[in-house]
Amino acid sequence: MTNQDEHKEGIRGMINPRRYGVERVAYLLMRLSGLGLLAYFIGHIYETSSILKGQVGWNEFLELTQTNAGHAILAIVIGMCVFHTVNGIRVMLGHGGVGVGKPARPDYPYTPASQNIRHKMGIYSAIILAAIAMMYGLAVMFGE
Amino acid sequence: MKESIIMKIHYGTALAAVALVAVHILMRLTQGFAESLEYDSVIANYKFLPYAGMLEIILILLSIHGFNGLRVILLELKQGKTYEKAVSYGCVAAMIALIAYGSRTIIMVNTGMM
Repeated sequence: MTNQDEHKEGIRGMINPRRYGVERVAYLLMRLSGLGLLAYFIGHIYETSSILKGQVGWNEFLELTQTNAGHAILAIVIGMCVFHTVNGIRVMLGHGGVGVGKPARPDYPYTPASQNIRHKMGIYSAIILAAIAMMYGLAVMFGE
Repeated sequence: MKESIIMKIHYGTALAAVALVAVHILMRLTQGFAESLEYDSVIANYKFLPYAGMLEIILILLSIHGFNGLRVILLELKQGKTYEKAVSYGCVAAMIALIAYGSRTIIMVNTGMM
């Protein structure tokens, strides 16, 4: 017999996107895009330091990144950046009390006032804008 | 430092970074993406002091925002006095290391030490 509560799923339960609606999807995407952008930022700082090796070093590194795979990765980065920005502004507004509704007595079915249509629209807008920005980025990178 | 103050810094760095990164990206698009990445063009950008200053500010803002975000994610996953201290100090150390490494590139190219 184990001491672990069978209902306690840990991180797996926390990240389950199907259980808590689009808000949980946004929560997950926010963290994944944040980690992705931090990884890209570190890579970008390393990449740009190759300019210290002179024109040959710069061009060698540029050849690695200016490929179809490099452009596809950059398009994903653009998407992550736009989603993280738009959803981040939504989260900031929510933390500031904007668009979360008025405090009220919790009655059945206990629908949280903060998880309302305005914030859902914010999440969907972030996803749509990220997709548009990715397409624009791909058009710029592959259009040349 | 109080967590509420850290979150205000987190949001402040995010808003400032959005504005400056928009300028940084627009510089790539107005020049033409491929041309803006040519060696001479990049060197000219670094040599232009206001632009180099902006890159330095972006570097600091994004490092603070990025590593504080990583700290928040790691603290959500696990708690404990030793763990929290290790995560916080580790993130600060990584932030300082990244700022130092990025600043080295900006300063060396801007001053012609290469």
